[in-house]
Amino acid sequence: MPLSYAELEQFYEGLVARARRRGIVCAITSGMACVAYGVAQATQDCDVLCAPDAAGKFLDLLGEASLHGQLPSYRGHLTPPLDARWLRGGWTSHFVWDAAGAEAYLDIFGVAPRGSSPWEAELQGFYAGPHTVAEMKRTNRGKDWPFVTAMGAQMLEARDERGWLHIYDEKLLRTFGRASPAPAELLKRRPLLELAVANDSRLHAVLYAEVQFWHELDRARLGIYQKAVRPYLMAVKKAHVPTGSALATQHEIRVRCAEKHLPTNPLGDYGIERMIGEAQEALREMVQPAALAWLPDVREQFKLVAA
Amino acid sequence: MKMAGSQTKAWSPGVRRRVRQAIYDFHVRAFGEEMARVNFLPLAERRRYVADMVDHAVRKGVKFDKPALGVTP
Repeated sequence: MPLSYAELEQFYEGLVARARRRGIVCAITSGMACVAYGVAQATQDCDVLCAPDAAGKFLDLLGEASLHGQLPSYRGHLTPPLDARWLRGGWTSHFVWDAAGAEAYLDIFGVAPRGSSPWEAELQGFYAGPHTVAEMKRTNRGKDWPFVTAMGAQMLEARDERGWLHIYDEKLLRTFGRASPAPAELLKRRPLLELAVANDSRLHAVLYAEVQFWHELDRARLGIYQKAVRPYLMAVKKAHVPTGSALATQHEIRVRCAEKHLPTNPLGDYGIERMIGEAQEALREMVQPAALAWLPDVREQFKLVAA
Repeated sequence: MKMAGSQTKAWSPGVRRRVRQAIYDFHVRAFGEEMARVNFLPLAERRRYVADMVDHAVRKGVKFDKPALGVTP
């Protein structure tokens, strides 16, 4: 009998509660947070943001976190160690509880992808705040974008002005534009809001260009990490971690491999400006040239991982 | 500007109603009528609905796990 969603949810929330009792700053994000914020998403795995400095403590907690008598393992050869050095650089550590019929998957981030402000500052119960969750959903997967808009709309309804940054539906954007002007500060961060408020006919093309820009940025970012992880992947494969070995043993092996073969911050090494430039270049071939002038300055979205 | 604070001007009840309807219409366009309805349920009912949906999918053999790539989109 597989674990029910309710059992899994209880397990993940229990994990976060235990972590917090140990002084670990952490929060559930992504799909499960979306459900809490009014956008139902069918998911079974759990994404957790964990303050990088607390990575060691979280690993200790995982080493004791039994699910149906099963302790977790690192998942796959590509998973970096849960260690502050790599978490700070934007890597994700993946874990699995692999009991027959009772599988659970946990992904741990230190820095929220595209997060423009520290997620630690805005927790809501077990969850990262909607602003962080919405920024994390600006991926290269088309299916994520309605979730971004839905959260942005909810934020505006709750009178959080940052919701303006997350509306990617043209009709809705025009409706909000008619309801109230976007604050000047946000017009600077997202120039196309000016078109929405003015009900300008160029909005459609510019909105398309902005979404494609985020897609290209995400493709470029993922490409940088995927290239950087290859030597580490080979090293972990060669290390032959014995099946069933304790999490602490798996961790030590991964740290040894990572120290030799895995750059801690490939995005910082590559250069944010260079990545943005490449995304802009790719965009030139797919959008109207005039739309490029309305793209947002996205450097803020990558400053935390580059720091 | 206080980013997480209140808007400069509160919406009138009429504007609020129009905005609320526009948001609901967006949910219908983006997620379909059934999920739009679910999204506007109280949290406990929404969670129950998602739980039933996921449990049903798992019983039918749907896998929800994502690839472990070391980096997440």
